[in-house]
Amino acid sequence: MSKNLRINKNKFIDQTARISFKFNNKKLYGYKGDTLASALLANDIHLVGRSFKYHRPRGIMTCGSEEPNAIVQISNDPSFTEPNVRATEIELYEGLEAFSQNCWPSVNFDLGGINNFLSPILPAGFYYKTFMWPASFWEKYEFFIRHSAGLGKSPTKPDQDLYDHQYAHCDVLVIGGGISGILSARLSAEKGLNTILIDDKKDLGGSTLYENNDIFKIDNENSNIWLKKQIEDLKKIRNLTIKNRTSVAAFHGYNYLLARENLTDHLSIHERKNKIRQRLWKIRAKKVVIATGAIERPLIFDNNDRPGTILSSSIKKYIDYYGVKTGENISLFTNNDSAYETAISLDKSGVKVKVIIDIRENSNSVLSKQIEKMGIKILRGYTVINTGGYKRIKSFDVKKLSNDGGSVVGEKITYKCDCLGVSGGWTPMVHLFTQSGGKLKFRNSDNVFIPDENKIPSEQISVGSSNGDFELDNVVNNTVKSIKVFLGLDKTNYEQLKIECSKEKQKRNIWLLPSDKPMFKTKPFLDFQNDSTAKDVKLALREGFKSIEHVKRYTTTGMGTDQGKLSNMHALGIIADSTGTNMGELGTTTFRPPYTPLTFGAIVGRNVGEFFDHTRRTAIHNWHVENKAEFENVGQWKRPWYFLKNGENMHQAVQRESKAARESAGILDASTLGKIDIQGIDASEFLNRVYTNAWSKLAIGKCRYGLMLNEDGMVYDDGVTTRLGENHYIMTTTTGGAASVLSKLEDYLQTEWPELNVYLTSVTDQYSTMSICGPNSKKIIKKLIPALDLSDENFPHMSFKNSIIDNVNCRIMRISFTGELSYEINVQSNFALNVWEKCMEAGKEFNITPYGTETMHLLRAEKGFIITGQDTDGTLTPSDLQMDWIIGKKKYDFIGKRSLYRSDTIRDDRKQLVGLLTDDPKEVLEEGSQLIESLEKKPIEMLGHVTSSYFSPNLNKSIALAIVKNGKKLKGKRLIVPMENENINVTITDAVFYDKDNERLNA
Amino acid sequence: MLNFNSPIKSEKNYDDLKIIEIEPTIKINLRGNKRQFSTKIGKILSILPPNEANTSSGNEKFNLLWLSPDEWLIYSNDKNISLEDQLNLEESLFNEISKLNQGAVTNVSDHWIMINLKGNKIYDLLSKSCPYNFNDFKKKNGSVAQTIVNHIDTILHNKGDNNINIFVRRSFSEDFWRWLNDSAKYV
Repeated sequence: MSKNLRINKNKFIDQTARISFKFNNKKLYGYKGDTLASALLANDIHLVGRSFKYHRPRGIMTCGSEEPNAIVQISNDPSFTEPNVRATEIELYEGLEAFSQNCWPSVNFDLGGINNFLSPILPAGFYYKTFMWPASFWEKYEFFIRHSAGLGKSPTKPDQDLYDHQYAHCDVLVIGGGISGILSARLSAEKGLNTILIDDKKDLGGSTLYENNDIFKIDNENSNIWLKKQIEDLKKIRNLTIKNRTSVAAFHGYNYLLARENLTDHLSIHERKNKIRQRLWKIRAKKVVIATGAIERPLIFDNNDRPGTILSSSIKKYIDYYGVKTGENISLFTNNDSAYETAISLDKSGVKVKVIIDIRENSNSVLSKQIEKMGIKILRGYTVINTGGYKRIKSFDVKKLSNDGGSVVGEKITYKCDCLGVSGGWTPMVHLFTQSGGKLKFRNSDNVFIPDENKIPSEQISVGSSNGDFELDNVVNNTVKSIKVFLGLDKTNYEQLKIECSKEKQKRNIWLLPSDKPMFKTKPFLDFQNDSTAKDVKLALREGFKSIEHVKRYTTTGMGTDQGKLSNMHALGIIADSTGTNMGELGTTTFRPPYTPLTFGAIVGRNVGEFFDHTRRTAIHNWHVENKAEFENVGQWKRPWYFLKNGENMHQAVQRESKAARESAGILDASTLGKIDIQGIDASEFLNRVYTNAWSKLAIGKCRYGLMLNEDGMVYDDGVTTRLGENHYIMTTTTGGAASVLSKLEDYLQTEWPELNVYLTSVTDQYSTMSICGPNSKKIIKKLIPALDLSDENFPHMSFKNSIIDNVNCRIMRISFTGELSYEINVQSNFALNVWEKCMEAGKEFNITPYGTETMHLLRAEKGFIITGQDTDGTLTPSDLQMDWIIGKKKYDFIGKRSLYRSDTIRDDRKQLVGLLTDDPKEVLEEGSQLIESLEKKPIEMLGHVTSSYFSPNLNKSIALAIVKNGKKLKGKRLIVPMENENINVTITDAVFYDKDNERLNA
Repeated sequence: MLNFNSPIKSEKNYDDLKIIEIEPTIKINLRGNKRQFSTKIGKILSILPPNEANTSSGNEKFNLLWLSPDEWLIYSNDKNISLEDQLNLEESLFNEISKLNQGAVTNVSDHWIMINLKGNKIYDLLSKSCPYNFNDFKKKNGSVAQTIVNHIDTILHNKGDNNINIFVRRSFSEDFWRWLNDSAKYV
């Protein structure tokens, strides 16, 4: 049975609400308001996990997001499990199951612990140096390295939780709910500014919330009481939004920030059902106040990583906020006054601190005197040189520091303990500031990097401890002063506050504390998660790594999930000391988002499953679904690919559809083609400039095929455009190219041809299009619209008629993409389904057959019609496609004209479109296959590739289109298509395979 | 008469949120930049096209939304406007504007689907997937925004009192509708 180290009732933890949870399958209890860390400590559990490299026992070290050691795997459900969750951040909930990471078979007995004994031969750079030779062994090494790499286990089943996103816009965003954040938010909101206050904890107030010490007073009230009133008033302000349990992950340029809100992680599993787990806030703020506070630094000495070694301020929070003592025999080791505050808090809670080791020779601050009055022993000018214990600290050794702090002298004294609090000073949390583009400066007086007031991105400010103010009076007064200027306030209610606080008088900083042993025999850890030590940093320097970025990568310092929050400053300090450089000149490593880890779920939001991507549906879509269409994605459109009938496979369906279209009638939903309504007095001139062929003489009521080029002369898009009136056209584009074509044309009108009086309007969704083709298509249209004169004289190929179907206007175009007699009906989309059904009804006696895109591709390939994007790839001119006839040589200009006459585009041996026939008529080539002339000549020259390939039921043989170097002149030449298991012989032919004289168009 | 088949045909009610498709409504896209163009519009619709960006003008029958310096969208308030009346309006505008080369008149009634959102939570709902800043939009009746909601192009028209009309392309409308209803559950 574990001990109960819960010592008192307090207002932050609801000790009436007991919560059961499991850690490494052992059932334990905590209270509502606990974190997993505080609950474990209350159960006297310090050993939480094993370190990454040496598998050393590691315990809870902090109480916040900087925690490097206590990272656990939550749950063993394959869809719910989450690795690398900081025990200090996750709130306790009923049924929580947590497991130690990086250990086997258990955290208490970990076979990987052997690495600790091998550590002398596993220094920094061990992997780089060792696994390079012999090169052939890499795959063997890789097996083991991959096995041991990484922390925790990924879920193996899809995440069942829900996540979403939310955009927010505000006048002022305040990051951090400590005293400086609260003051900033209040000043902003009281000015009437739309303000958002974000804090990652469940309660606002930061460390002041539980600072119940007479030494810290504001307006004659203890600072926690004063702050509590401020928070109560703050919550009443209407234009202020407070987001608790929300952590800013990224601060991008121009005040765009991402914040993750935890909505259900603190609830029991059954309370979470159908609720959003995490919400990613995307915030645009006019102004940003960074009040992210500071984190305490550890101290670097031999074996400073044993479980039970905890940051002093965290011990204070565990006792004052959670009511948990972190041990029964606690000592403190410090270089500043913060540990004294902890000692006072412990003493008030009935926990006597055995000894405080202070590396400073003197301290005469108020706090120091209070400690002396309390009778707590202080060893001044001493340092801890080693610790004892394995799975829990049991003792520590101290020695007197030499005057210069570079070595130790005198007798070794050993103290027994079960918890050692360490305090190495404070580091401002400047991560978000630097992410946004701000630059730091180094303050030598207390060895901190703080925002450089001359290099702050506009419309943001850092206040409080994140700006380097650590004393209460400085925090409050400087925050008020800065916010007043930042927000343009005339006066505030906080300018005459009477603030009492302790002032730290003496400072002493030693980045690497000396030991009585040679360096190579010590383990002074810098990065507790990645097991990099001060020795490793010194080794990196000896091996020539000078830049902090290089040292970081060589030693992996700061590369764990905590991103070096505790280790970076010490690494810099040791480098500076070792190289005799000022830390300010060294700079810092780059702080990159996210500040705290984001789940993939939060990043993706609701864009999963059916919301992963959009689906555009035609007005006839549901009919296709009901009639067993298989769909093809074309852009975002779902287009019927083929319609399955009577147990067919795809090939059989396509063969049936193709034969039906040629022999009787087929119908295609062509609604997805882009449609642009063109109006204006210069519409004809506009088309002349856009297309390669001439348009001025196109008669009203006639249609024309056009080819659009890029400025480089390469084919960009194609389609049929119809002249509806004198200055009125409707252009069709390819399905996938619709948006870009409209955008390009609008761009030309606005920037290149402003003199043209032309207006473009997208009508892609306004009209649905159904194309009826085949020898019986005319009879079907006649049944559908008896009044329409369908004679060739009245309604020839490439013309259109306005007509009416059941009182609804429609346009009938006689155009063909199959080579068959074809009519396209264009009708307002909301009537399209009914028109389609009427077509099916009218065509029933002719066995009208709906067909999909695969059959459409096959039919047009029989005719040698290109599909832009399939037979073209942005490198082909009209001439390459053997479509010289479409270039209006007499035209003054059109997009891409000049490029058609460059030396490269008129080369004879360019790749050109040809037809291919296989020797074996049943052999269907694979699209994309390469074409070669001979297998003998090495290296083998690739002459081109197959762009389209089908088995034609109408020709009863395989056909293909290809682009081949100098193809125009190679008609009849035999080439080889080399495949994995065979070489297929083909012959270059004309690209038109079927009805070369276009007789069927008028059949 | 052919059967009219709008893509959604539905109405959903949530806590403080109502979502309904309003169809059929006539919608006509207008483009032009000549003075006579505005005069003609005013004469036919009794409304002048607004010149201020992202605003609208309107009367009992019609709304006229600013889309760009030379583009506007007309839509009717009357859901039951007959097809004949729609055609007459379109024809009248077309004859007076397009045929006289003073601009372009294009029927887009079926290009856009109109969805009406009412309730105190409409902006929370839209902000789930819309980067637009609604702070000013929601304060001003008649304001217009062209933005993306859940990555889909939309036109938003503020009718006031937490009542907005959203125009979305027909082909996207079913996806959009599904997203609206899914997100409404988590507002």
